[in-house]
Amino acid sequence: MTPVDAPAANDVILSVRDLVTTFDTDSGRLTAVDGVSFDVRRGRTLGIVGESGCGKSVTALSIMRLLPQPMGRIQGGRILFEGRDLATLPPAELHRIRGGRIGMIFQEPMTALNPVQPIGRQLSEVFLLHRTRDAADAWRRGTEMLRKAGIPAPEIRMHEYPHQLSGGMRQRVVIAMALACEPAVVIADEPTTALDVTIQAQILELMQALQRDLGLAVVLITHDLGVIAETCDDVIVMYAGRVAESGPVESIFDRPAHPYTRGLLDSIPRLEGTRKARLRVIEGMVPGLRDLPAGCRFHNRCPHRIDRCATAPNLEAVGPGHEAACHRWRELPPR
Amino acid sequence: MNLPRLRVDPLTHKKLQRFRSIQRGYVSFLILATAVVLSLAAELLVNSRALVVRHEGRWHFPTYGRIHTGKEFGLDYAYEVNYRELGRKFAADPSGRNWVLLPPVPYNPLENCHPGETFRPRPPDWARQNFLGTDQINRDILARLVYGFRNALAFAAAFIVLTYAVGISLGCLMGYFGGWFDLLVQRLIEIWSNIPFLFVVIIVASIVPAGIGMNLGVLLAIVVLFSWTGMTYYMRSATYREKARDYVHAAQVLGASTARILFRHILPNVLSTIVTFIPFTIASSISALTALDFLGFGLPPPTPSWGELLRQGTSNLQSPWIVASAFSALVLVLVLVTFIGEAIREAFDPRKFTLYQ
Amino acid sequence: MDASDVPPAPLLQLEDVQMHFPVREGLFLRSTRSCRAVDGVSLQLPAGETLGLVGESGCGKSTLGKCIVRLHQPTAGRIRFEGTDLAALGQAALKPWRRHLQMVFQDPVESLNARHTVGEIVAEPFVIHGEGDARERRERVLGLLEKVGLPAAAADRYPFEFSGGQRQRIGIARALALRPRLLVCDEPVSALDVSIQSQVLNLLLELQRELGLSYLFIAHNLAVVKHVSDRIAIMYLGRIVELAPAEDIYAAPRHPYTRALLSAIPRPEPRGTRERIALQGDVPSPISPPPGCPFHPRCPHATDRCRVEAPALRAAPGRPGHTVSCHLDL
Ligand SMILES: Nc1ncnc2c1ncn2[C@@H]1O[C@H](COP(=O)(O)OP(=O)(O)OP(=O)(O)O)[C@@H](O)[C@H]1O
Ligand SMILES: Nc1ncnc2c1ncn2[C@@H]1O[C@H](COP(=O)(O)OP(=O)(O)OP(=O)(O)O)[C@@H](O)[C@H]1O
Ligand code: SF4
Ligand code: SF4
Ligand SMILES: [Mg+2]
Ligand SMILES: [Mg+2]
Repeated sequence: MTPVDAPAANDVILSVRDLVTTFDTDSGRLTAVDGVSFDVRRGRTLGIVGESGCGKSVTALSIMRLLPQPMGRIQGGRILFEGRDLATLPPAELHRIRGGRIGMIFQEPMTALNPVQPIGRQLSEVFLLHRTRDAADAWRRGTEMLRKAGIPAPEIRMHEYPHQLSGGMRQRVVIAMALACEPAVVIADEPTTALDVTIQAQILELMQALQRDLGLAVVLITHDLGVIAETCDDVIVMYAGRVAESGPVESIFDRPAHPYTRGLLDSIPRLEGTRKARLRVIEGMVPGLRDLPAGCRFHNRCPHRIDRCATAPNLEAVGPGHEAACHRWRELPPR
Repeated sequence: MNLPRLRVDPLTHKKLQRFRSIQRGYVSFLILATAVVLSLAAELLVNSRALVVRHEGRWHFPTYGRIHTGKEFGLDYAYEVNYRELGRKFAADPSGRNWVLLPPVPYNPLENCHPGETFRPRPPDWARQNFLGTDQINRDILARLVYGFRNALAFAAAFIVLTYAVGISLGCLMGYFGGWFDLLVQRLIEIWSNIPFLFVVIIVASIVPAGIGMNLGVLLAIVVLFSWTGMTYYMRSATYREKARDYVHAAQVLGASTARILFRHILPNVLSTIVTFIPFTIASSISALTALDFLGFGLPPPTPSWGELLRQGTSNLQSPWIVASAFSALVLVLVLVTFIGEAIREAFDPRKFTLYQ
Repeated sequence: MDASDVPPAPLLQLEDVQMHFPVREGLFLRSTRSCRAVDGVSLQLPAGETLGLVGESGCGKSTLGKCIVRLHQPTAGRIRFEGTDLAALGQAALKPWRRHLQMVFQDPVESLNARHTVGEIVAEPFVIHGEGDARERRERVLGLLEKVGLPAAAADRYPFEFSGGQRQRIGIARALALRPRLLVCDEPVSALDVSIQSQVLNLLLELQRELGLSYLFIAHNLAVVKHVSDRIAIMYLGRIVELAPAEDIYAAPRHPYTRALLSAIPRPEPRGTRERIALQGDVPSPISPPPGCPFHPRCPHATDRCRVEAPALRAAPGRPGHTVSCHLDL
C-alpha cells in the first residue's frame, strides 16, 4: 500500500485507520461505517462523496467524537491526529482539540449557531475558549475573522442575531467560527448543500482562499460530484459504509475503476448531453443498513457481478495513489 | 381492500412495541391497568353487600341485584339487610344450611362500620377487616380509597373526553382556517384564561342551590371550562403545521373536501402525538380533583374522595394511618402515571432524547 | 416535430400572474407590506412540452407552481388552461379542472400521508372524484403502480417502507391517476440520491412520451432542467428574466443572471478552467425588492438606467423564441 508518488508522511495531518462505527437501535446493532481508512494532508482537500446514508456524516462525527449518545459508538480503528488517537482520547482533552485544532462546518448553519445570542458573542467565545482571556481582544479578533470570511461591515454584523442573516451569510459566520483558532483540519459536512448555486460558488471560493492562506487541510463531504471535481485534490467514494474507491480527483473522474463510481458518473445529466435522451441508471436502490448484501456491498446493483462478488473485495491499488474495492476492476471495459 | 379490516398501521405498531420494551413504563402500565380493572369491579371486592347468600335452599346474589330486606332472611326489620350481621347469625346456626359469602372488605365506603361505637379513627384492625383502619366517623378507609379512586378515574376520563373534544375540534378549526376566526378565538381564550379559576370555584360552590350540591357534574364542568384552552392551543399549532405539509397540499390539488382533509389526513396525524399527553392529563386531573376536595370545594360529602381523606388525615395527625394511606395511594398513582407518560413519550419520539458526548 | 411551422396551441397560458403574500406585522397583525413572491409572470406552455423553471431559492418557483394548481389563489393575473381562466374559479367550479392539473412534490417523505397504505394513497384521487368501485379502483391502482415501476405488493405497504426514489414514484402514480394533461413537478428529484435521480428522470420522460403530458419542471439544477426541458424560463425575484429554448439558454445566455448561474454550476470535470462570474451579495428579499431592474444590486453590468427603470421582457435580437429582460444586448 505504498503508492509510487506517496507524499512525505509528515504531510499527513489526520489519519483515519479502519474506522468502525455502530449504532445500537431497536432492531439491533447497525454498522454505519465499516473499516474506513484515509489520510488528510496539509494544504489539501479530501472529498468524501457518496449517497445518502452511506456514512459520510457518521465518519465526520466519529472523528469529532460527536456521535449521538448513547447509541453511537466507535467500535474499532484509530483516528490519529498530532500523535494522538482521537478515538480513545478522554473528553476533557477532546474539547480542546474540537473547535481548536479541528474545526467543523455543518450543512445547516442554524444548528451550529445559537439563535438567541448575537454572532459576535458566539464568535468571541471561541477565542476566549482557545486563545485569549481578554474579552475586547476576542471581540476584535472575531471582527477580523468575519472580515476574512467576506462579510461586509463586520463591526455591525457582530451585533446581529443569526436569524437576521441570510443562509449564505450564516454559513460564512460558521466558517469564520470553524477557522477562528486557525485549526489544522477543517471538516465540512455538506457546507453548501442548503445554499443556492451562486452562493455555493461564493462559499466554495471563500473556503479555497482561506485554505490557501492558512495552509489548512480540509475534509469536504458532499454528494455533488461537481463540487468534488472543482474543489478537491483527493476523493473517497463511499458506498454503504465502506470505501469503494479512493484516489486523486483526476484519476477518479478520468479512470474510475469501481462500477459504482462509473455508474454515478454516467448517471448524472450533463449540460453538454443530449436533451431527453435516456440517462444511464444504476438499477435498484441503496441498501439499508439492516439489509446489506453479503460480500461486495454493491453486488445487488452491479452490472458486472459474478459469483466471486459474494466475497467482499479488498481495496487494491489500481493506479498511483488510486485504490478500488472491486474484484473485476482489471476486466471492466474501458469507459 | 374491499373487506374492512381492523388494522394497526405499522408505525403505531412499532411505537407500541417500543413502549413495551421500556420496562419501567410498561410495568407501571400493567399495574395501573390492573388497578383500574379491579376498581371497576369494586362492588365485588369492597362492599357491604354479600356476594352470595344461601338461604333456605335458595341462592341470592345481592351485589348487583335488588335490595333484600331483613324480613326476607328471617330478620325482624324491613330495611336492607346487614349482611355482616346476617353472616354472623347464620354462622351461629350449627346446621350450616344457610351461609353468606362476603367480599374481602365487607364495608361500603359510606357506612359506619361499627354502629353504636363512638366516632373516632381506629387503626388497622385485621380481625374486623378494617385493613387500613377507619376514619373519624368509623368508615372503612380502604373502602373509601377504592371508591375514591374510581371516582377520580371517572372524573379524569370525563375530563379528558370533554377537554380534548373541545380543544381538538376548536383548535383544529382555528389552525385550519386561520384568519379572523383564529384571531377572534385567540383573543377570547386570552381573556378567558385571565379569570382566576379558584375564585370561580369558590363562588360557584357558594351559590349552587343546596338541592343540587357540588356534584361531580358541576365540578367537572367548572374544571373543564378552565382547562380546555391548553389543548386548543396545542391543536391549533399542530394543525397549522400539518396543514402546511405537502401531503395535505397533494390532497388539496386532487380536490379533496375540507372535511376529508381534516378527518382523513390532518386529524389522524395530529392525534397520534396527542396520545403522549394523556397520562399527564390524567395525572393533573387527579391532582386537581384531590386538591379541590382537600380544600373542601370538591365533591360533596359523603362522596368518597382522596382529597377528603387527606384533609381528615392532616387534621388528625395523631391517627397517622389516615394520612399515610391516602398519601401513599396518591403518590403511587401519580408516580405510575408519570412513568407511563414518560415511556409513551419516549416510545413515540425517541430521537428527542439523545445526548451528545 | 413535423408540424414545426404551426405553433401548437398553448395548453396553459399565464398572463401577468401575481402572488403577493400579505406580511403581517405589529400589534394587530395588520398587513402593511407584501411579499411579492410572484410579480407579473406571463408564459405559455404548449401541450406535450416541458417548460423548465429555474432560479434561486425564494425566487417564487414553487409559488408560481402552486398558483397554477391553485394551491394559492393568485392576487392578480389570469391562468388560462385550454382557454378557461382558472384563477377566476371558486373551489367548487375548480374541482372538475383539477383532474387535468396535478403536482409532484419535492419531498417524497412529506408528500405522502404516513398513515395510509400506498394503495390508499394512489386510490385517493378516484375516491375524491368518485370514480369506480372498490374493485375497479384496486385494479387501476395496480396498473398505475406498474406504470411507475413498483410491484403490486407495494399497494398494501406503507410509505416508510420505501426508499426516497420509490416514494417519489408513488407520488407520481398518484398524480397520474386522473390522467392529467399538465404535471407541475416541483423539484421532483432534488431530494433524491444521485443514482436514483436518473431513474426518476427517465420515468418522467417515458411517461411524457407515452401519455403526451406537459410538464412545468421546477428545479435549481440547470443540468437536470436542461435535460428534460424544451424551453427554460429563468426566474429572479418573482419575475421571468429570460425564457428561451433549452439549447439556446445554455449556448447563448443573454441575461447577466443566467450567465452567472450557468458559470456557478459545479461541473463534474476536474481541472475545469472556466471563468466564473462571481456575483456579489445575496438575493434581495421579495418583501422589499430593489427599484428598477431587480437584479441590479448584483449585476456586474448595471448602469444608472438599471437602477431606476425596470426592463421589460423582450425578444432577444436575432434569436427566435428567445426573450430576455435586460436593458443591454449582451
Ligand atoms: N442516531 C442514529 N441511529 C441509528 N442509525 C443512525 C444514526 N445516525 C445515522 N445512522 C445511520 O448511519 C448511516 C449513515 O448515516 P450518515 O448520516 O453518515 O449518512 P450520510 O452519508 O451523511 O448521508 P446524507 O447524505 O443523507 O447526509 C445511515 O444509514 C443512518 O441510518
Ligand atoms: N404561504 C406563504 N406566505 C407568505 N410568504 C410565502 C408563502 N409561500 C412562499 N412565501 C414567500 O414567497 C417567496 C417565494 O417562495 P417560493 O417557495 O415560491 O420560492 P422557491 O423559488 O420555490 O424557493 P425554493 O427553491 O427554496 O423552493 C419566499 O420569499 C417565501 O418566503
Ligand atoms: S466486486 Fe463484483 S459486485 Fe462488487 S463492484 Fe466489483 S464487479 Fe461489482
Ligand atoms: S437591466 Fe441592467 S441591472 Fe438588470 S440585468 Fe440588465 S444590465 Fe443588469
Ligand atoms: Mg450527512
Ligand atoms: Mg420551492
